[in-house]
Amino acid sequence: MPNLSFRGGDLQRWAPLLVLVALVVFFSMVNPNFFSLKNFARIGISATPPLMIAVGATFIIIMGSIDLSMEGAVAVCAVVFASIFMALGGTLGGWGWLALPACLLVGAVCGLVTGAVHVGLRIPSFMASLSMGFVGIGLSLMMTGGDRIRVEDPLFRSLLTQRFLGFPLMVHVAFVVLLFAWFIQSKTTLGRNFYAVGGGEDLAHASGLNVRRVRIAGFALAGVFYAFGALFAVAQLGIAETATGYNFMFVSITSIVVGGTALWGGSGGVWNTLVGVLIVNVINNGMIVMGLPRYVQDGVLGLLVIIAVVLSTDRKSLAFVK
Amino acid sequence: MSFIKDFIEKETLSRRNFMLASAFGLTGAAAASIIGAGRAQAAGAIEDPTIAWSYRDRTNPYWNSIVSGGESFVESLGKPKSALVHLINEGSSEKSLADVKALLGKTDGKLALAIDTNDSPNARPVVEAVVAKGAYVSTIWNKTDDLHPWDFGDNYVSHMSWSDVGPAEQTATILFKAMNGKGSIVGLGGIASNNPAIERRKGLDNALKNFPDIKLLDYQAADWDTQKANSIMSSYLTRFGDEITGVFCANDTMAYGVLEALRAEGLAGQIPVVAYDGNAQAVDLVIAGELLATVYTNPHWGGGITAALAYYAATGAFKPSEEPHEHREFNGPTILISKADAEDFKKKYIDATPTYDWKDFWGPSNGPITY
Repeated sequence: MPNLSFRGGDLQRWAPLLVLVALVVFFSMVNPNFFSLKNFARIGISATPPLMIAVGATFIIIMGSIDLSMEGAVAVCAVVFASIFMALGGTLGGWGWLALPACLLVGAVCGLVTGAVHVGLRIPSFMASLSMGFVGIGLSLMMTGGDRIRVEDPLFRSLLTQRFLGFPLMVHVAFVVLLFAWFIQSKTTLGRNFYAVGGGEDLAHASGLNVRRVRIAGFALAGVFYAFGALFAVAQLGIAETATGYNFMFVSITSIVVGGTALWGGSGGVWNTLVGVLIVNVINNGMIVMGLPRYVQDGVLGLLVIIAVVLSTDRKSLAFVK
Repeated sequence: MSFIKDFIEKETLSRRNFMLASAFGLTGAAAASIIGAGRAQAAGAIEDPTIAWSYRDRTNPYWNSIVSGGESFVESLGKPKSALVHLINEGSSEKSLADVKALLGKTDGKLALAIDTNDSPNARPVVEAVVAKGAYVSTIWNKTDDLHPWDFGDNYVSHMSWSDVGPAEQTATILFKAMNGKGSIVGLGGIASNNPAIERRKGLDNALKNFPDIKLLDYQAADWDTQKANSIMSSYLTRFGDEITGVFCANDTMAYGVLEALRAEGLAGQIPVVAYDGNAQAVDLVIAGELLATVYTNPHWGGGITAALAYYAATGAFKPSEEPHEHREFNGPTILISKADAEDFKKKYIDATPTYDWKDFWGPSNGPITY
């Protein structure tokens, strides 16, 4: 930040982080158990798969599009990973490790198809991705026949069971992937092109950018992060099934918006998404730690999301909200 | 367009006759004969009816077993699996009813239907549509308390449900005994408005009355969902810490999430957990000692016998109206699985699917439904 003097925009920029801190302070006051390394590790575990998925979708939202295919993509990635993993011996010690790159590849292909359908057929990203999500759910259902595949390899499950500095390995690995996402966002041409497309597509097009190619690449990249999310979700529960993908659409889109990435594109980024995912998971964890009954929890979550969006996005510059 | 007028008149007439018959309190058999007279098909005269199963979806191991039972019944008739027609309602009662009506039209009433109508109020329109066409239907799980097969002659063949209160009380009792009758538990329930979720909670409450030294710390709905159960359990660990000495789960899929939350903390196998449904994975976990107990409701048999009842009533192999009430509304089987019998259970029910006599309609059932 070149200008250190305080401006209104700065407050908005840091609002999501302040909301997160305020929530942590609040829940800690209600129940001191909340503020403990053990609980932060628990929040870390539940936040890891949605973080990966939300990071992928962040790139799409920066472009001003939206991706709702994550539930299908995650289901396909999880099922393909588990099938290959079990077919190759079912342990990371043997040839099973090949299932990891295969899973990322499948994620990229899923994204590529969604992007191609959206750009090639000129279908709005909302509709194209939602439909491809359904295709993914159907595909994974066809592969499993409705059954669940169990992944019990202790080496793979060590992502959950082994701890370093109090946090399971999966949290550390996810942090490395997050740094990788940040690198793409800020240090690569592709990353900067996402902002160019989201900030003003006509302008980007007029200045010679192949917008169609950027969009397809964005969806493929998002698919890779969905695959990471699928891997962590399988590591967390030891089960790969069609339902592995469920619930991720709401959590990831909410987290992105709460983190301050605007749905109209051109602003925000992966760090915002990290804060957003943490806010949503802290709320979910905190409400149970407080002992709120379930029917109150859903309502409170909805209200907090609205408050967070009001605080963290600059809506003055918008001519109209649609 | 006179045939349309004829059709409407005929439908109105048979419906009015039917309603009049009910209003005057005539027996079901009489009501059926009035409808039957208006139709070409007399009771039990359908040769080779289409067999259909209408259910929610296949992503769930429970419905998967129901359907496998239906398929195995169809195979017992010497037909291929594909002869079973699948009507998938995806959790929508409207779709459930529309699909049934479409199939009734297509088969012209030559239909033996097994169905879970998705919710209780939907059972009546489904049954009425089937009866009006002279087809045969057997229902499971959902129907309102005032709807009875014997009020519809032969065409509404049977209703099967499962009472979960007793078995849930048993699993809770096993849990409390493993805790030596004292300590504190947390509970995870299903979707709050679901009948099984309500009954299983009631079973837990009944058991709690017998163990005054067991405290229920909190009971939250995790919606039958593995992920939700996982995050709720880890939040419980923060809130109550070492106070938790037992966990009650209203089904297996939530128990998997609970066990993984415990595994992440190195607590797997140290805190006793009970579940419900008797899925294959849960049975393995009982054998491994990570789950204390679960309850099997034999969905494979339930799926097969429901289709068989509708089919054999349609072909005339037996006459439902001559059967006593407890053969037309009955509870399905429940088998409690704990460490002692899990190995035997696995050999008998999971490694090999037992071959059932699909004409032994009531052998494994569990007594009449009481209201």
